[in-house]
Amino acid sequence: MSGPAKGVALSGVAKWYGKVPAVRGLDLEVAPGEMVSLLGPSGCGKTTTLRMVAGLEAPDAGEIRIGGTRANEVPPWRRNIGMVFQSYALFPHKSVAENIAYGLVMRRLPRAEVAARVADAMRQVQLQGLDERVPSQLSGGQRQRVALARALVTRPDVLLFDEPLAALDRKLRERMQVEIRQLQRAVGITTIFVTHDQDEALTLSDRIVVMEGGRIVQSGTPGEIYERPGSHFVSDFIGMMNALRATVTGRAEDGGLRVRLEPGGRELAVAGPAGMAAGDGVELMLRPEKVRLNPPAGAGLIHVGGTVAHVVYLGAVTYLHVGTPDGLVIAMLPNAGGDAAAPRQGDAVTLGWRAADMVCFAPPRDA
Amino acid sequence: MTARTGRRLLNAYVVAMMVFLALPIAIVIPSAFGEGGDLSFPPRGFSLKWFGAILERPELMAAAANSAAIALVATAVSLVVGTLSAVALRRYSFPGRGALMTLFMAPLVFPAIVLAAAIAMVLAPLGLIRTFQGLVLAHIVVVLPYVVRTVSATLAEIDRAWEEAALTLGASPWQGFRTVTLPLLRPGLVAGATFSLIISFDEFTISLFLVGSGMMTLPIEMYNYAEFSLDPTLAAVSTLLILLTTLAVLAVERTVGLGKQFS
Repeated sequence: MSGPAKGVALSGVAKWYGKVPAVRGLDLEVAPGEMVSLLGPSGCGKTTTLRMVAGLEAPDAGEIRIGGTRANEVPPWRRNIGMVFQSYALFPHKSVAENIAYGLVMRRLPRAEVAARVADAMRQVQLQGLDERVPSQLSGGQRQRVALARALVTRPDVLLFDEPLAALDRKLRERMQVEIRQLQRAVGITTIFVTHDQDEALTLSDRIVVMEGGRIVQSGTPGEIYERPGSHFVSDFIGMMNALRATVTGRAEDGGLRVRLEPGGRELAVAGPAGMAAGDGVELMLRPEKVRLNPPAGAGLIHVGGTVAHVVYLGAVTYLHVGTPDGLVIAMLPNAGGDAAAPRQGDAVTLGWRAADMVCFAPPRDA
Repeated sequence: MTARTGRRLLNAYVVAMMVFLALPIAIVIPSAFGEGGDLSFPPRGFSLKWFGAILERPELMAAAANSAAIALVATAVSLVVGTLSAVALRRYSFPGRGALMTLFMAPLVFPAIVLAAAIAMVLAPLGLIRTFQGLVLAHIVVVLPYVVRTVSATLAEIDRAWEEAALTLGASPWQGFRTVTLPLLRPGLVAGATFSLIISFDEFTISLFLVGSGMMTLPIEMYNYAEFSLDPTLAAVSTLLILLTTLAVLAVERTVGLGKQFS
């Protein structure tokens, strides 16, 4: 690090491609040393936002500050950033060592220092002995490490990742996620990580910023985003969700909503957003892992009977798809290791969950 | 018709086409090694004297030197201009880009004789007829599209992310171009240069309007020579040209692969 870690601040940043808005008035602060994920579906503006921080795209409005200094007019080569690209973008005509040294050579460091820092960086990402290889002779994971070393070796103020793990197979991806997180913590570098993979965002981030349609829809710690999604979109995008359709029948005394489940007609009181009136259609979102199988009666749970329609066995967990009078409910059963047989297709079961585990949202307009 | 007869007919057709294409070359090479004083086929005897005869023809030697110099200068200029043009046309969008691309390719599709007359009309008032500079300018017009084409084709395979990675690592656009784009362009540059050299050296129609006594090119001097004497000296010159061209094309094929340039 060339000094204490620097933060990044975007205020009112907007970008259009022709007449199509890619990013619309984005406000985002990344604290020094913080690792923030920009999470969203393709086309949500997350990559454009990252490229504006890198200086590869110019914002049409708003201000980007790096370390408190306005960076809008600073070209990428003077921003002192490190970026890991989706395709890694390793120079195909240069060896591993030359790739890593590139940023140092551009900074005109003395040859001995370049060599020492390249060797250090290669040790850091466990690439010793591969100096003379060219990128085409490396595995996907090795390329990833070279890209990481190349971005870090210049000791940038900000590290930017553009979906760098998308091309790796699942096992390797999960290992790289942990490695990147450990390295980022060890170096203490301010990091922005773009991904459309919710697990990746949950694994890597101090904070997740969920984007949709060029805007931030929610920002919070992984726990906050997962446990208290702020909108139907966020709850649906992060993790698996049951969505039970219901109609608002009125307000409860405690300020919650009284709703009637659509097919079954069961009446419930749930916490719900303001601005809902009787007659409005809503969806009750419920995580599969909050659903319990055959719970004891009278535990203060909502009980629903149903028939197992489908069983998805994944080893560590099993998902039960249960048809109930209130609609399809998916329950996640952990593999507890016992030989208690999981229900099979066609079995009659009872499901139970706490009313507090349901979150109520207006359904998306196009549904 | 059975599949087998069809297959045989196809083979016969391919052989016939290849003979048709290669026959003139197959005839000219043996003719250069004959002993007789006329261009007869098959040649009588074996001799290398017609290759020696080239050296005794100062007008052929001078024209060959002119052609080589014109080809080298036109190629050098075209490589620089063509590379910059290809980068602009491929990497930047600006008004008139499509029209400009068409303009660069126009000499490829224009009838050479029209181009020749047009170039002569432009160069004559400038006093550039029968000058080295005039011929170089005209040849640049002819070879530039080939360079733009081969460099563009290579540029299309250069991932923009490589150039962007260079920028994020602290390279200015020029440093990035020099250290990343240019080395990766090498195959296109080699291929473009080879085509340019061969096409310029071989150019006839346009040069015909621009040459004159004291400033001749080899193809036109060969044509003049053939008007007066049809001895195997011409076959010997042709054989040398075939040899040089084949070597050049083989070298390109070996280093960068020709197929790619026409994909």
